[in-house]
Amino acid sequence: MQHTAFVLVFALAFAFFSYNAQRLVRYLRVGAADDRLNDVPRRLWNLLRIGFAQSKILRDPVAGPVHALVFWGFLVLQAGALEIFLQGLVPGLSYARLLPQPLHWLFLLSQELTAAAVLAAVSFLLYRRIVVKPKRLQGDGVHSRDAIFILSLIAGLMITLIIVAAADRVLGADYPMVIQPVSAPLSVALGWLSPSAAGALRDASWWAHALLILTFLNYLPYSKHLHVIVSLPNTFLSNTSGPGTVGAMKPMDLETDAEVFGASDVTHLSWKNLLDGYACTECGRCTSVCPAHLTGKLLSPRKIVVNTRQRLLEVAPALIGGSDVFGMPFIGAEPNDAVATAAVLEHKLLDNFITEEELWACTSCRACVYECPVSIDQLEIINEMRRNLVLTESRFPEEVLPAFEAMERYGSPWAFQPAEREKWAEGLDIPTMAEMFERGERPDILFWVGCMGSFDDRAKKTTVAFARILRAAGVRFAILGQEESCNGDPARRLGNEYLYQMLAKQVIETLDRYEVTTIVTSCPHCFHQMGNEFPQLGGNYDVIHHSTYIERLLADDRLPLRQAEGEKLVMVYHDSCYLGRYNEVYDAPRQALKRALPVVQLVEAPRSRDKGLCCGAGGGRMWMEEPVGQRVNVERKKELLSTGAEAIAVACPFCMTMLDDAGMKLESTVPVYDIAEVVAQQLADG
Amino acid sequence: MKIAVCIKRVPEMDVNFKISPSGTTVDETGLRWDMSDFDGYAVEAALQLTEKAGAGEVHVISLGPDVVQETLRKALSMGVARAVHLKCDRVPFDGFAIAAALAAELKDGGYDLIMFGKMSIDGASGVVQFGVAELLGMPVVHACSKLEITGGTGSARREIEGGGELVSFSLPAIVSIDEGIARPRYPSLKGIMSAKKKPLDIKPAQLGAVRLTVDKVELPPPRAAGRIIGEGAAAVPELVQLLQNVAKVL
Amino acid sequence: MPNVLVFAEARGGELRKVAFEAVTAARQLADQSGGEVHAMLVGPSGIGAKASQLAEFGADVVAVSEHAAFADYAPESTAALVADRVKGGDYRVVIFSASAQGKDLAPRTAAKLHSAIATDVTSFALTGDALVVTHPGYTGKVLHTLTLVGSPALFSVRPGAVATKRTMGAGRVESVAPSLDPSSARVRTTATILGDTRKLDLGEAPIIISGGRGLKAAENFALVEALAAAFGNAAVGATRAVTDEGWRPHSDQIGQTGRLVSPDLYIAVGISGAIQHLAGMRTSKCIVAINKDKEAPIFKVADYGIVGDVFDVVPALTAAVKQAKQSPH
Repeated sequence: MQHTAFVLVFALAFAFFSYNAQRLVRYLRVGAADDRLNDVPRRLWNLLRIGFAQSKILRDPVAGPVHALVFWGFLVLQAGALEIFLQGLVPGLSYARLLPQPLHWLFLLSQELTAAAVLAAVSFLLYRRIVVKPKRLQGDGVHSRDAIFILSLIAGLMITLIIVAAADRVLGADYPMVIQPVSAPLSVALGWLSPSAAGALRDASWWAHALLILTFLNYLPYSKHLHVIVSLPNTFLSNTSGPGTVGAMKPMDLETDAEVFGASDVTHLSWKNLLDGYACTECGRCTSVCPAHLTGKLLSPRKIVVNTRQRLLEVAPALIGGSDVFGMPFIGAEPNDAVATAAVLEHKLLDNFITEEELWACTSCRACVYECPVSIDQLEIINEMRRNLVLTESRFPEEVLPAFEAMERYGSPWAFQPAEREKWAEGLDIPTMAEMFERGERPDILFWVGCMGSFDDRAKKTTVAFARILRAAGVRFAILGQEESCNGDPARRLGNEYLYQMLAKQVIETLDRYEVTTIVTSCPHCFHQMGNEFPQLGGNYDVIHHSTYIERLLADDRLPLRQAEGEKLVMVYHDSCYLGRYNEVYDAPRQALKRALPVVQLVEAPRSRDKGLCCGAGGGRMWMEEPVGQRVNVERKKELLSTGAEAIAVACPFCMTMLDDAGMKLESTVPVYDIAEVVAQQLADG
Repeated sequence: MKIAVCIKRVPEMDVNFKISPSGTTVDETGLRWDMSDFDGYAVEAALQLTEKAGAGEVHVISLGPDVVQETLRKALSMGVARAVHLKCDRVPFDGFAIAAALAAELKDGGYDLIMFGKMSIDGASGVVQFGVAELLGMPVVHACSKLEITGGTGSARREIEGGGELVSFSLPAIVSIDEGIARPRYPSLKGIMSAKKKPLDIKPAQLGAVRLTVDKVELPPPRAAGRIIGEGAAAVPELVQLLQNVAKVL
Repeated sequence: MPNVLVFAEARGGELRKVAFEAVTAARQLADQSGGEVHAMLVGPSGIGAKASQLAEFGADVVAVSEHAAFADYAPESTAALVADRVKGGDYRVVIFSASAQGKDLAPRTAAKLHSAIATDVTSFALTGDALVVTHPGYTGKVLHTLTLVGSPALFSVRPGAVATKRTMGAGRVESVAPSLDPSSARVRTTATILGDTRKLDLGEAPIIISGGRGLKAAENFALVEALAAAFGNAAVGATRAVTDEGWRPHSDQIGQTGRLVSPDLYIAVGISGAIQHLAGMRTSKCIVAINKDKEAPIFKVADYGIVGDVFDVVPALTAAVKQAKQSPH
């Protein structure tokens, strides 16, 4: 009788779950194609490291280990869950009968310890949710109800598991107490139960446990805990930690006859973006590290992902058929006209869920992507929507228009004539590629100066400093001079892919004409663009950031430095997002400083390296006004100043400008130097 | 609503011009080109009028050698429906000579409005629209900073020194556009792509007689080096005198 | 001897300064060719009384047309009137002012007459058979020397290009009836609104007065606004430092990331001249700087600089500009 009941319940539960699973998978078809089965070894490695080893989860020192415990515990407990369902389907089956005794005892112990640990963990997490109420677990319309329900279910599962083991002991199972350290004492406490009572308790707990598992399973599609099923596949299928180039924007083919460029709705996103929506645990870690959000802007990376999921669940039934099983026909039906009203179809993701203001507030610092424990790419959604705003609708903040126009006309986001690009080099006798080529010579490297380095007064000093360093090291280098023009990165970040491709192709043509193979640049944006994204358009060069190059020169003793004198100089290095999180260059700049100035005492800002706070200029925000909230650059400057450092070092002209500006606002006298300036100052030739 | 806009391809103004060896034209080496500023406002104003009316088309027309087709394509990418290129080797300076060619093309177009920028930013004469108006027997309203069309009537505002004039007229009419009406829209990628497929007709230009010739072009005398003319409020009278008589801005 | 016809612009029953400039120009040419200066004066009833003013600048004949319809500028009837006068007389040259009105009237008249026209001219001469003029183009960066073929040749003279000169002319007044019935005009001016200069956009304003940190506080921008108002056709700009502080809206910011402007006159008040700001305004025709630091970089790009306290200099300048503007308008 029980057996029949179990088989029935099991079949129903599984059918229902299977229905929902199919439904949710079908919904993904609403999205565009995306090849995610390349470089499987890399993907498996990500799965192991980020998924199973919980590397990103552990970035939170408190909630991290606790969640990891629950996850690993969950994996261990699957063995026990499997036994339950085997027993239910084939009465009398148990591991006791199948496994050799030592292994079975190990199994029992593992379940026991795990159940206790998970119960403790879950109790802590409930306490955290209900009493502590951490900030990042609120906002964006997320509810703790969902979490509390699931945590309670898990607690229930652990408790019923232990009770079953205890009841079994009362009924005569006599494993050594040491392998059942939790259920053994409990069984003693329950010793007064009569065999029939113990049997009833045992059956009830066993059923409760099985039902809780089936309830849990079927609740998942309706909860953020869908991540339990989706997060591991999502980690495998994600590109946020490779394979391929990390941090490169998606390539875009502009030659198509598409009506829509970029994404205004979920149908324009790829199925992987939509899967990200399913994987989101609403943990809020992304939002808690977002510089825009931290300074009061509307943008919340979590909201972007949650909205994507919400919109998918809203419109997919209309487009692809099937919906919540209650009251609606079974899956496999035609697109559901009853639901496909104009209102639903036109209630697009853009403007109705995610506003322009949120999209433009992003500095593309990648902190959200870096932090996400389930490898969601929030930035990709933001970038695709920006592309839609600009390419399809020509909607962008009006202060961005001069930058677009200047890039089109002058090949620079600022309205300076190409002729002015060489002004910084006056009197320095630096050969241009054109001059070298005419003489039949080739340089070892091309020094790519960049628009900031060419036109901005403060950045020009960095350019000159680096040129001096190259010269002191005897490097044969050339510059493009007037032939240099913007590689289009600002346009691309701002969503103007058309303008970007036009500019990038021009630069690639120039570089190829001069047979350039190695480029060194002092701008992390140029570095990332030309090194990591140019290959999409056929430009393949070895691009090195000047901090890395300088560090190598120093390590190889190629720079004659004068003796360091004086007391210690306390310096704090500010990590550029495009050097750091995008390209994992954290040590070279620090090493360069230490080698050049052995007297330097490097201190770290509270948020540094991959947790570094953005200066606020990325994502094209350098060209936008910041009308809402506090200034990102001021926030960061305050943080850097709080270290008590006597000087701030940077490796990016944008960071330099932002921190300088913030310094003026805060009336701070702490100077900001580029690494090149610090090193150049130490050159033996003075 | 059917609107025609006459546009001109001109060099970007933010450069130091040089004179070509012939001495009668500006040296074109290294110059970048675009639609004349006021013409851009006119195209935008025309697009907004047809959008507001809910129906209608905007056509653009330009005179000159083959390169003007770039500028016509730019207008197409903004949303203009068709373009006409009146082909001739050189654009004459004489606006009335140009007007004859334009009038010949526009005559049978059945346009409700024919729009111009108030003047081209290079030649800066501002006479073509009057020539066309005379040849077509249409009313012309010049230098509108505001424009509204309701049914068959138009009302506009012209800026005058210290104020404005409100003008009313009936369609069909010729209107030239001043600043303040509209900023030209940034073409969307869709616009740029579809521009390639929109019709661009090429016809020979039937220029009129030229009665205004360019003998030579020169650069204005170089700016004298700046100087500090004085200290404090005492220097004000001299400044005013300089602004009035030398710089002629007061 | 062919005569010179000149259209003398009036508004609100008064002659405008540009009218006297145009008559002076006519006198110069008439003296060259040995003919008379005939001035046309059009306006509402009573305008004829101003004819004698035109004689003071050299008009030999003043053809007056008075009609209620000429209370506002009537483009078609006025052009018809001038055209008819030209057809009925023997004029070598017809001169207009290149004022807002003249920029409409001159080409309109020329089109009716099918004659050559050069607008916005800064110098002119009759050399033998030809009328040769200078016309600035390319935003003032290129000067064209033009020859007009045929007689009469029409041109409009740029306001301020001719210094008025008093020479007594015969001043005979003739009365002329409007030829085109003003009520049949297809283009009607329904109102002339004065004192209602729309807020000039930075991109269009011929004059821009910009304020920087030297003004010390948001309220002090009132000084800059007063100076702009004194000019009448000026807009107010600001540096990034000032918009960052919130003293002025971001849309007023001139500089690398703000607006690029190229007005005829740019007055920088309390601005040091950081390169980001300079990038935004260095192509202005005439740059004036007022700053108390004589080493400020702005003085390197300014045509005229005053070293002094802006709180002293700007009010003084405002008063002086108001006065200068008060001479016959």
